[in-house]
Amino acid sequence: MSTKVAPVSRAVGVALILVGIGAIVASLSIGLDQFGRWGARYFPLGGSIALFLLGIAEFWGAKPSQPMDRHHLPAIGVLLVLSVVYVWSISVIGYLVSTALAAPLALYLFGVRNPIGLIVAAVLCPAVYHGIFFVALGVFPPLGQWFDLLDVIGGY
Amino acid sequence: MDIFAGLATVLGDPILLAWVFLAALVGMIVGAIPGLTASAAIAMLLPLTFYMEPLPALAFLYVIGKSGRYGGSIAAILFNTPGTAASAATQLDGYPLARQGKASKAMKVATISSVIGDVTGELLLIMGVAWIAAIALRLGPPELFAIYFAAFIVIGSVIGKSVTRGLASAALGILAAMIGLDPISSTERFTFGSFDLTNGISLVPLMIGIFVLGEVFKQIEERGTRAEIMPTDDTDAARNGLTWIEYKPCLPHVVRSSFIGSFIGMLPGLGSAIAAFVAYGEGKRRAKNPHDWGKGALEGIAAPEAANNAVSGPSMAPLLTLGIPGSTIGAILIGVFLIHGIQIGPTMFLTSRELVFALFACGLIGIVMYGVIGYYGAAYVGRFITRIPTQVLYPIIFLTSFVAAYTSRGNLFDVYVMVAAGFAGWAMHKLQFNPAAFVISFVLAGGAEEAFRQALLLSDTGLMIFVTRPIALAFILIGIAAMVARVRSVNKQARAVALRDA
Repeated sequence: MSTKVAPVSRAVGVALILVGIGAIVASLSIGLDQFGRWGARYFPLGGSIALFLLGIAEFWGAKPSQPMDRHHLPAIGVLLVLSVVYVWSISVIGYLVSTALAAPLALYLFGVRNPIGLIVAAVLCPAVYHGIFFVALGVFPPLGQWFDLLDVIGGY
Repeated sequence: MDIFAGLATVLGDPILLAWVFLAALVGMIVGAIPGLTASAAIAMLLPLTFYMEPLPALAFLYVIGKSGRYGGSIAAILFNTPGTAASAATQLDGYPLARQGKASKAMKVATISSVIGDVTGELLLIMGVAWIAAIALRLGPPELFAIYFAAFIVIGSVIGKSVTRGLASAALGILAAMIGLDPISSTERFTFGSFDLTNGISLVPLMIGIFVLGEVFKQIEERGTRAEIMPTDDTDAARNGLTWIEYKPCLPHVVRSSFIGSFIGMLPGLGSAIAAFVAYGEGKRRAKNPHDWGKGALEGIAAPEAANNAVSGPSMAPLLTLGIPGSTIGAILIGVFLIHGIQIGPTMFLTSRELVFALFACGLIGIVMYGVIGYYGAAYVGRFITRIPTQVLYPIIFLTSFVAAYTSRGNLFDVYVMVAAGFAGWAMHKLQFNPAAFVISFVLAGGAEEAFRQALLLSDTGLMIFVTRPIALAFILIGIAAMVARVRSVNKQARAVALRDA
């Protein structure tokens, strides 16, 4: 536990205020119950107002903040894109093929450059995960809408 | 005595013992890997336990939590990198000892102290939890809501460096928990017309995202850095053996720190890191050799390690008696209880008493197991970890998080939730928000809302019911007092930093 005090920035305060306002508006649009009571609104509204007030407190107490290290942001962005595309690709081409593509890409992103290693990962990762989760544990695999290798190899 | 029946159950089941042993080993390795926490391991392994019987599932994850807390000390001593936040206190004296060639001695002190602290915490839990549950049964909805309120405030304001951002994390956790259908009126809340959101956000993908994928996002920033291990020469008995004469001065610190850790563990949200640093500070203040602390004093390892592990047992007390998780591990265990249809709370001691005490017995046996493995094998665990290439480990964790999130409900929407939570977890860490407060508040929000609405239905005076009931008022004041104290402490630190920089 460090004794270093957190840097405070106005941007965080503004973001909290905006999210708070959005949440307050969304909370007020929650329907009332059949007796016209606010039951379902209390907690969402309480949380939203708290967020809004905390945003004001953050903004009000803003001090010069330390600059954030942006050196790794491109890698973070690529990993985020890979994550989203990986999930989407599971839904369209099934788990096996998407994992065969995602595994070497993830390894490459973390610095593995050995081509044989990447090829082995592309084969081994889908096979091992499929074996553990969808065969041994019996979870029904996510099937691709466009194509699924399981249709070809019959590996349900 | 229920605990003896529990011990008999566990000791008579070799498969259960094997799970406990595996958990002790896995927890130690995971805890010792810098950057990877026991919470991450538990979140990742959680879907696997859905297919197990309740007791092995709970015992496996519970012992990983215990052993993981201890495992952090291995990284702190050998790599000068705390495996967990709590073991940063151990690092202060552990690494100087390793530099003196006494790494094995330091790890033996850490192991014995962790075991004593953990056993103390576990025994206090076993002796006290039924009493707390009996009291909790008498609490009505206003008192329960007041306890939840105090928990939100304490968790949000006490953990982390910024009070406002910690509380904002708690508020965001509450809002995330509100997504879906209102449990009483079935009114849609925050669904924005999405059918997938009407089922709400599931706890398992959220936790896998925050604790596992979020860690992968963090680790991509650490690419290329490699932990250097300090050499451990077990053959040099003079430097690395541990004698009773050497350990004897540590005992008073271990006993005191065990009680400090147990007390802090009972309070929701404070956790091991605070316990370890409080114990270290208190130990140094009372030490006969305070000038040696920070330079390689054995007592400086014993105190924080005992406190760190003493937190583990008592942190289960609010979870088991009130359904309020005292730690992120507790929040994850709620998922296991719910999946297996076990209602947590005070009635659990009436409906699942045998299971609870068998779980405690598994905890005690798990402590012995990680103690033995750690005493004789911590150096091997350290060497094993340096052989794990992080550029392979984290991509594997990355891929596992996706399939684990899918497995929880067989739903790809959950995997999108996990990705969003992972990125949010990284962003929260980067902006010094508090992911732990977010997750614990997410877990607490449902129960808190139920208690709040039940209290209002009971009340003829609206919100005044929380002020007119003395226990409820006391908890609300405790929450506010904790927040005020924390704000004052943070302001004091800020002034000290400003004066030092001036």
